[in-house]
Amino acid sequence: MTTDPLSTDLPSARPTRTLPRQADPDAPLLVVEGLQTYFTLESGTVRAVDGVSFRLDHGQALGIAGESGCGKTTTALSLLRILPSNGRIVGGSIKLMGIDLVQKSENALRRYRWREMSIIFQGAMNALNPVQRVRDQIAEPIEERLGASSAEARKRAGELLELVGIPRARGNAYPHELSGGMRQRAMIAMALACDPAVVIGDEPTTALDVMVQAQILKLLEDLRYKLGLSLILITHDLSVIAETCDRVMIMYAGRVAEEGPVAQVFSHPRHPYTQKLLAAFPNIHADRRTLEVIPGSPPDLSNPPPGCRFAPRCAFVMDVCSTEVPPEATLDGVRVACHLYPPAEAIA
Amino acid sequence: MRLASWRDFVRRLVHRPEGLVGLVIIGVFTLLAIAPWLFVGPLETVTNASGRRLEPPSVSHLLGTDNLGRDVLNLTVHGARISMLIGFLATLVTIVIGALLGIVSGFVGGRTDTVIMRITDFFLVLPTFVLALILAPIVLEIIGSGEVLGMRTTLIVIVVVIGITSWATTARIIRSQTLSVKERAFVDRARVIGAGPWHTMRVHILPNVTGLIVANAVLVFAGAILTETTLAFIGLGDPFAPSWGQILGASQDAGAPGLGAWWWYVSPGVCIVLVVLAFTLIGGALDDLLNPKARRRR
Amino acid sequence: MGSRYLTRRILQAVLTIVGIVLLNFVLFRMMPGSPERISHNPHASVAARAALRERWGLDKPLFPDQFIDYVTATVQGDFGESFKFKGKEVTTVIAGRVWPTLILFGLGELIAIVVGLILGAYSGWKRGGPVDYGGNGISLILYSMPYFLLGMILLVIFATTLGWFPTAGMFTLGQTYSSFADQVLDFTRHLILPLAAVSLGLIGQYSILMRSSVIETRGEDYVTTAKAKGISESRVLRGHAVPNALLPTVSLIGINLGFIIAGAITVEVVFSWPGLGTLTQEALEARDYPMLQAIFLILAITVVLANLGADIVYGRLDPRVRT
Repeated sequence: MTTDPLSTDLPSARPTRTLPRQADPDAPLLVVEGLQTYFTLESGTVRAVDGVSFRLDHGQALGIAGESGCGKTTTALSLLRILPSNGRIVGGSIKLMGIDLVQKSENALRRYRWREMSIIFQGAMNALNPVQRVRDQIAEPIEERLGASSAEARKRAGELLELVGIPRARGNAYPHELSGGMRQRAMIAMALACDPAVVIGDEPTTALDVMVQAQILKLLEDLRYKLGLSLILITHDLSVIAETCDRVMIMYAGRVAEEGPVAQVFSHPRHPYTQKLLAAFPNIHADRRTLEVIPGSPPDLSNPPPGCRFAPRCAFVMDVCSTEVPPEATLDGVRVACHLYPPAEAIA
Repeated sequence: MRLASWRDFVRRLVHRPEGLVGLVIIGVFTLLAIAPWLFVGPLETVTNASGRRLEPPSVSHLLGTDNLGRDVLNLTVHGARISMLIGFLATLVTIVIGALLGIVSGFVGGRTDTVIMRITDFFLVLPTFVLALILAPIVLEIIGSGEVLGMRTTLIVIVVVIGITSWATTARIIRSQTLSVKERAFVDRARVIGAGPWHTMRVHILPNVTGLIVANAVLVFAGAILTETTLAFIGLGDPFAPSWGQILGASQDAGAPGLGAWWWYVSPGVCIVLVVLAFTLIGGALDDLLNPKARRRR
Repeated sequence: MGSRYLTRRILQAVLTIVGIVLLNFVLFRMMPGSPERISHNPHASVAARAALRERWGLDKPLFPDQFIDYVTATVQGDFGESFKFKGKEVTTVIAGRVWPTLILFGLGELIAIVVGLILGAYSGWKRGGPVDYGGNGISLILYSMPYFLLGMILLVIFATTLGWFPTAGMFTLGQTYSSFADQVLDFTRHLILPLAAVSLGLIGQYSILMRSSVIETRGEDYVTTAKAKGISESRVLRGHAVPNALLPTVSLIGINLGFIIAGAITVEVVFSWPGLGTLTQEALEARDYPMLQAIFLILAITVVLANLGADIVYGRLDPRVRT
C-alpha cells in the first residue's frame, strides 16, 4: 500500500493509490453515459458512436467486441479524448472517479491522460516511435508527467521492462529491432509507466501469432492481479474476451447491443446480433474467423437507418425495429437493446 | 489507375478549385499560344518597333516598351507561343523516353532492369541543368542554325536537350507503377495465353499507367518551362523567336533592373509564374484524384 | 552507423563520379567536331593552336591514348587554358571564383533549411489558419518562380527604387577601406539582396516539403500515442513528429541539390556576383570549352558529394537504415 508512484512495491489492491484531487472516492472507477462521437468528413457526418453507456469498476476487465467499424476504437479514443482532428464528442459524459472528462478543457484533461488511463495500440502498426529507443519512450512520460529526473525515469523504465518480461538491456533497442511480441510487451510497459488505474487495450493481440497472443494475454492477466489494474479490452475476437474479461459489451454500428457478465452473455445471448456472433463459431476456443458468416454488411454511419441499426440484417426483425430505436432493458444483470426485450417486461 | 473516360476525368478535375483555376489559366495561355497574331498582330522586331525606347506602361503600350521600342505586350504574347511550344514538345520527348524505359524496365525485369535503373540513377544525380547547358551549344554547333520543319534549330535543340536530361524521374515513377501492375492476375493470364511482351506491355500495362503518366506529364511540363526559361535567360535562347526566358535574358543584359524598367521583365515573369503555378495546381489536384488516401478512422 | 549503408553509398558516389568523368570525355572529345573545339581557341594564333593539339595529344587515337591522357590530366586538375581569359589556366580562373559562390549558396542554403523547415513544420502541424494558408500560398508562388526573376524583382524594388542596397557586384568598385570592418560591411550590403533571392526561393520549396511531411506524420499511431501520454503539444511536435517528418524531407533536400544549380548560376548573373555562376555564363557566351568542361566536372562532382553528405545525414537520423 503506497502513495509513491515510483515505488516498486506491487500492491495487490488498488484503492489507496493517490487519487486525483477532484476525484470522488466513492464513485465507481469509470462510468460512461450516452457517449456520442461524430466525425466530419467531406461526404457528411459519420455518427461513429451514438449513445454508448457502460461502467467499469475497480479491478474489473471489460471486453468490447464487435465488427470492424462498429465504434469500439472510437470509443477508446474518446475516453482519452485523442480523436483525430475531424472527430469530436458531441454528447454524453465520461466520468472517471466522478470527474466528467468531457467537460474538461484540453489542458485540464491532460492531467488524467496516462496517469489515470492509458492505452495500448496494435504494436504491429506504427504505435512506437521508430526513431526513438524503446527505453526512452517508456521513460518519457515518467519524466514529463511525474517530474522524475531522466536517470530515475530510465531506471524505472528498465524495471517496467523486466516486469513485462523484456530483459532490461533490450531497452536500448529501436522498435524495428524487436519482434512483434516484444513490441507489444514494450507498449504494455509504456502504458504502465505512470501507474494508471485503467489500461485500454485496442486489439492488443491481433496481428500476433497464436502462441505470442497467449503469452500477452497471460501477461495482462498477471499484471492485472499484481497491480490491481482495471482493463478495457477491445477486440473482435470473442475467445480473447472469454479468457480474460469479467464483462463483455457487444457493439454494433455505434451502439451497444448487449452488455453483461461474460458467462451470462456467452451462454445465453439475447440480442440477435450477439447470437449470430456466437453462433458463428461453435467452439469458443477454436476458429477465430467469426465475421464472415453474418449476411449483409454494417450500415453506412453517415446515413444510418432510423430505428435499430441491425434491423436490415436481423432474422427477427419486426415493424417497430425500423422506426424506433430500441430502448435498453436489463435482464438478469445483462443490458440488452432490442425490441424483443421491451423494458416494461424486464425483471431485474 | 485506369482512366475510365477522359470526360469523367476532366469533370472530376474541374470540381476541385485548384484544378479549375489551373485549367483556366492553362486554357488562356494555350489560346494565346496557338495564334498570338490574332491578339496582338505580328511579332515586333527591330525594324517594326512601335514605340519609343523603354517607355513605362501607358494607354498605347499597356505593358510598356523594351530597349528597342518594341511593345512588351506584343513580345509577351508571342513569347507564350514559343515557351508553351517548347514546353509541350520537351514534355513529349521526356515522357516518351521516360515512360518507354520505365515500362520496359519494370516489365522485363532482370538484367535489363538493373542496367536501365543504373543509368536512370546516374541521370538522377547528375545536375542535368549543367549538362543541358553544355550539350546545347555543342549540338547547336553540329547542327548549325536555320530552320527545320518550320522551327528554328535553336529551339529544337533546346527541346531535345531538355528531353534528354529530364526523363529519369518519369522513368522511375512509371517503372514503380509497372511493377505493381505486373503483379496483377490478368497480366499473368496474358502471359499464359502466350501473348508476346510488346503486346502485353501495350495492351495491359500501358492503359493502367496512363493516369500516372498524365499526372507526371503535368509536372514535367512545369519543369520544362522553368528549365527552358533558365536556359534562354543565360543566353541559349533565340532572339528571333523570343520565349519568355529569352525576353528576360535580353532585359537583364540591357540592365533593365538597374534602370528601373520593371515592366519589361515583370510581364513575361508573371506569365511564367502563372503557367508553372497552374501546372503545379493541376498536378496537385490530380495527385489527390489518383491516390485517394483512405480516410483513417478507427 | 551501419557500415554497410555507408560503404554502399560511398561506392555509389565513386561510381557516379567515374561515370561523370566518362561523360565529360564523351562530350568533349567524342562528339563531332570535338577535338577542334578543345584546341581551336579563336583568340590564339595558328602556332599556339598547334601547340595545343600537341599538348592534348589530339592526333593520337581516342582509345586508349587520348582517354588515358585525359583522365590523368583531370585527376591532376589540369584542364588547359581558358579561351576567354587569354590563356590563363582554367583551374586558376575557377579557383578565384569559388569562394563567392560558396558564401552565397552556403549561407542561402543554411538559412533556407532552418527557416523553411521550421515554417513548414509549424504550418503542417497547425494546419489551417492564416499562417498555414498564407504561408502555403506564398510558398507555392515562390516555388513557381525562377530564382533569377525573384532576384530581378528584389533588385528593382530595393536597389534601384529604394536605393537601400547596391545593384551589382560583391564590393563597391574602386573603393578603398579604412578598416576590415568597413570592408565586411560593404560586402554584407552587397550580399543581402542576392542572398534574399536564393533563400526565399529555397524557403518556398523546403517549407512545402516539410509541411506535407508533417501532415503525413501527424496521422501516425505513435503521434496519437504520444498525445495520449499527456505530454505537451510542443514536445509531441519536437520529439515525435518532427524527427520522423525530417526523414523524407532530408532525402528530398538532397535530391534537390542538383536542381538548385540552375538557380545558383542565374542569381549570380542578375546581381553580377563574381562567382562560378557568372563565370559559367561568360564561358557559355564565349564558347570557352575548356572552361565549360571544367565547370561541368566540378559542379557535377560537387552535387554527387553533397548528395552523399545528405545520405550520411539521413543515416544518422533514421536508425532503420543502419542495420
